[in-house]
Amino acid sequence: MSVLEVNELRVRYNAGSPEILKGINFEVGENDFFAIIGPSGAGKSTLIRCINRLVEPNSGKIYFKGNEITGMSNRKLRIIRRDIGMIFQEFNLIDRMSVMDNVLSGRLGYTGNLRSFFKIFPRKEIEKALNLLDRVGLSDQVDKRADELSGGQRQRVGIARALIQGPKLLLLDEPTSSLDPKISREIMSLIKEMATELNVPCLCNIHDVQLAMEFCNKIIGIKDGVKMFDGSTESLNKQKLDEIYLMEVL
Amino acid sequence: MKSDQLLTKTAINVDDILVKRNRDKVSHSIFFMVIMALVLWSVNVTIIEDTDWERMGSLGEVLASAGRFIGVDFSLIPNLLEPAIETFMISCLGTLLGVIICIPATWFGALNITPFKPITYPIGRFMMTISRSIHEIVWALFFVAVLGLGALPGIFAIGVRSVGFIAKMSAEAIEDIKLGPIEAIRATGANRFQVLLYAILPQVIPQVIGVILFEWEINIRRSAILGLVGAGGLGLVFFRQMNTYNYHGVTTVILAILVIIIFGEIVSHFSRKRMI
Repeated sequence: MSVLEVNELRVRYNAGSPEILKGINFEVGENDFFAIIGPSGAGKSTLIRCINRLVEPNSGKIYFKGNEITGMSNRKLRIIRRDIGMIFQEFNLIDRMSVMDNVLSGRLGYTGNLRSFFKIFPRKEIEKALNLLDRVGLSDQVDKRADELSGGQRQRVGIARALIQGPKLLLLDEPTSSLDPKISREIMSLIKEMATELNVPCLCNIHDVQLAMEFCNKIIGIKDGVKMFDGSTESLNKQKLDEIYLMEVL
Repeated sequence: MKSDQLLTKTAINVDDILVKRNRDKVSHSIFFMVIMALVLWSVNVTIIEDTDWERMGSLGEVLASAGRFIGVDFSLIPNLLEPAIETFMISCLGTLLGVIICIPATWFGALNITPFKPITYPIGRFMMTISRSIHEIVWALFFVAVLGLGALPGIFAIGVRSVGFIAKMSAEAIEDIKLGPIEAIRATGANRFQVLLYAILPQVIPQVIGVILFEWEINIRRSAILGLVGAGGLGLVFFRQMNTYNYHGVTTVILAILVIIIFGEIVSHFSRKRMI
């Protein structure tokens, strides 16, 4: 059974501007670590932001666990978003907040306005945050401000923030692009390890084909908003890759 | 071949450049002469013709008039304490009132968070503009007329006058924030209020506090003169000394104003260091 189903997804930012996504279809299964590859500007980021509607698609349908996300009311959408964790290229932490508060902000979907104003979170959630920080190797940095951390450490906080949601799907938007190759591999391993352990399927934008081949079991390749490839990692060959990255080679 | 054609097509003649440079020189000189004529005309009308040269007298007499202000009236000092505290309080409460009025003004006047752009954005911008385009003395006159004499109209004048600067700078800070954290907080299922609280405010708080402290320093200066129109504080004492020709008393009040301004700057300096 598929967790996520995307049908004929089309996006353009303004009425007159060119289409960013031109009818994309794919399905993410329960145990998938699913990669979206393609050159810069292919529409990968737009595609992944459509899943939790940070970007509004113009047409097409997206189903998450059988619920249609497209066309959902804002209230329902916020409830669905609680089940979808997201990790970003630029980490997108709140610089001036502590590591702990950053992780706890992943629980905002479950927190009332008054409690979020005073940053009051239940003991259980703080415990969970501490556990996750321990798992990502930051249990000694709990009180540090997020902007005091290194890039790799910040992404680990980002991972903890996404996981404390208790997500049923993880969206990864170029999680390693701001990191050096060694840290990139560490972060990808960590994400894969945690996702496997918690049984969370992942949908991952990644332009580094090497990493995609190494960590993902399924790949779609897009170029200029059109799907060029869809299949298991093993079936992606050099010829297909050349097609996807043709623009960049020239 | 192709690049050669491009070159001949875009190449500019030296004569053309010289003609253009000369034309620029002529227009610059004309512009300069017009400005000079305007300045000379203003000097003639406002200074030469409009000054009562007879009454001013000789240079010696001018210096003697200025000299009357040298000296301190120590007998006045005990009477200054209360107005000085009042001035200080007017600036504090006025700034606080200003900050409170700034909340809707900033919220409405920042393009990226304004709730309903076609209506709320102009309202926010209008609040900022009207606050700044009317002088604090004029605001004070207005509030004295509405609320009567005393410190209260002063507080209102300071509060209303502060909105323009604080709200404008805060709205600009909010318009310049990084969008990434907003995406991240929205993605957790947070509502608009939580996004404001967790993604927007933390990014602008240091700037906003800096702006408020800066405005508060200015407000001490402002509240020191509001007494001139009956809105309480040291200004009233100043006015009385001037009316009774007690020039040493005037100097004493000016020194008192200087003292609380310096005090304000010291407080502001240290709170800035602590909070930012």
